[in-house]
Amino acid sequence: MENQESIVKQPRPEPLKSTLPQPGRPVPNRAYPGALIVVEGTDGSGKSTQLYLLKRWLEIGGYRLHFTEWNSSPLVKSATRRGKQRRLLTPPTFSLLHAADFADRCERQIMPLLQGDYLVLADRYIYTAFARDGARGCPEKWLRNLYRFAPVPDITFYFRAPLDVAVHRILSGRPKLKYYEAGMDLGLSYDRPESFRLFQARIMDGYDKMVESDNFVVLDGTLPVNKLQKQMREIVASKIDLKRFAPRATEAE
Amino acid sequence: MPDQEKERSQEREKGTIPSPADHPEIVPGRLPVVSEDEASKNFFGEPLVGFDPHEITGTLIVIEGMDGSGRSTQISLLQEWLESEGFAVQTSGLRRSTLVGRDIDELLAKNAVTRLTLALMYCTDFFDQLEHRIVPALKSGTIVLADRYIFTLIARSVVRGINRDYLNGLYAMALRPHLTFWLNVRPDTAFGREFRKAQAISYWEAGRDMSLSHDLYWSFIRYQTMIKREFEAFAKRHDFLELDGEAPVSTVNKLLRQRIAEQLGIRATKYTPSSALAHLWR
Repeated sequence: MENQESIVKQPRPEPLKSTLPQPGRPVPNRAYPGALIVVEGTDGSGKSTQLYLLKRWLEIGGYRLHFTEWNSSPLVKSATRRGKQRRLLTPPTFSLLHAADFADRCERQIMPLLQGDYLVLADRYIYTAFARDGARGCPEKWLRNLYRFAPVPDITFYFRAPLDVAVHRILSGRPKLKYYEAGMDLGLSYDRPESFRLFQARIMDGYDKMVESDNFVVLDGTLPVNKLQKQMREIVASKIDLKRFAPRATEAE
Repeated sequence: MPDQEKERSQEREKGTIPSPADHPEIVPGRLPVVSEDEASKNFFGEPLVGFDPHEITGTLIVIEGMDGSGRSTQISLLQEWLESEGFAVQTSGLRRSTLVGRDIDELLAKNAVTRLTLALMYCTDFFDQLEHRIVPALKSGTIVLADRYIFTLIARSVVRGINRDYLNGLYAMALRPHLTFWLNVRPDTAFGREFRKAQAISYWEAGRDMSLSHDLYWSFIRYQTMIKREFEAFAKRHDFLELDGEAPVSTVNKLLRQRIAEQLGIRATKYTPSSALAHLWR
């Protein structure tokens, strides 16, 4: 009993050690020297192509960067695969599993690299979860809380393409839509392409609602690829001090 | 329904209907409307997606307590007693979900996971069991005996420095139990019991990831004391029924049976464990 008394007085050592923003506390804009660029948009909006081209541009220029993709952490891959194959996922567990995946990438890659003065490019970010899981019926308040630990991007590009264009791009390229991809779990329609279309419409609606509140830079996904890329590069160059991320160039001078 | 939807999608193509979000009535009624009062009565915050609390006919009984407090012993005995009384019983516990139960085991074994990711994996595990095991059982009038619940999960993360409001928000869609028992024991008693089980103390039980002490005993005691303090706060806020986990198994079991019998509206009946469980009866 005496021992316990002395234990109670021990200070808690843990919280100060973390480099991750504490969930619940707003992330100060410049708590880290790096920069975060995010692309968002429905499937078939052209965002991945554009981010790839942006990445190539920066890579060729020798900039320090890291590229990260939604739902790519090896840690939760087997669980996601099992959940999808056996159709175990419900709106909350679908959402939580993706949040675990994101937390893993955030704690082990995104935050350390932002601290280490890197340019981080993310193909899809938390807004994907807000739009997609919101379309599945998860309460917005719950979702916003779930991702409170995520650093706020420096630029969020939102690629907007009309529903028909986006849906056509996906349907013409894929022989068969997967169950969750088509949003079949929502019970919107028995017809997969039709379910996909209804699901995408809801997601697009979710994105549209965030344009103002989350400072999206809206780009027209129907423009020719090179024109769109030119716009994207101009915006990146104007909003981010790229010189900071190109040490080789400065060393050469 | 599909025909109707097809028709509407054709209309939408023609531009008469902009998007389904503007027309929620075309969506089959999957999301029941739960009033705010009901939500706070049945859930910790938000109603669970697509779930109507009126469908519950079973009883959710949670047993909380630290490692070595005797939870699983009591649950085995309660299950036998309830089944002998003619009740259907379902159990749940941490890391038992089909979705991620095994994955968490692997993460813990490899110790290659950060605290927030682990917290979210446990949360996934919890909701998978809630939706696939607990809620279906409760809808069919079954008694669910939960070996730990959101309280352990929240406490473990809070002592690791994760924001309390954040965690409360994560578990806002959890169902409120009908009864929550807390088997309270002193950490050094728990240490002895846990050590006897495996002739060792596990890395996580001792909170070794928190660098509290290099001494395994002190690491365990400090960690479990921190958890215990969290439980003391929960006990007040969520009407825990606190039981002395240091008392003999049969005494604790009797108190549990009395309170559960009252909840179920049956007369508290005598119970002696079968030969299969007699070894637990100390």
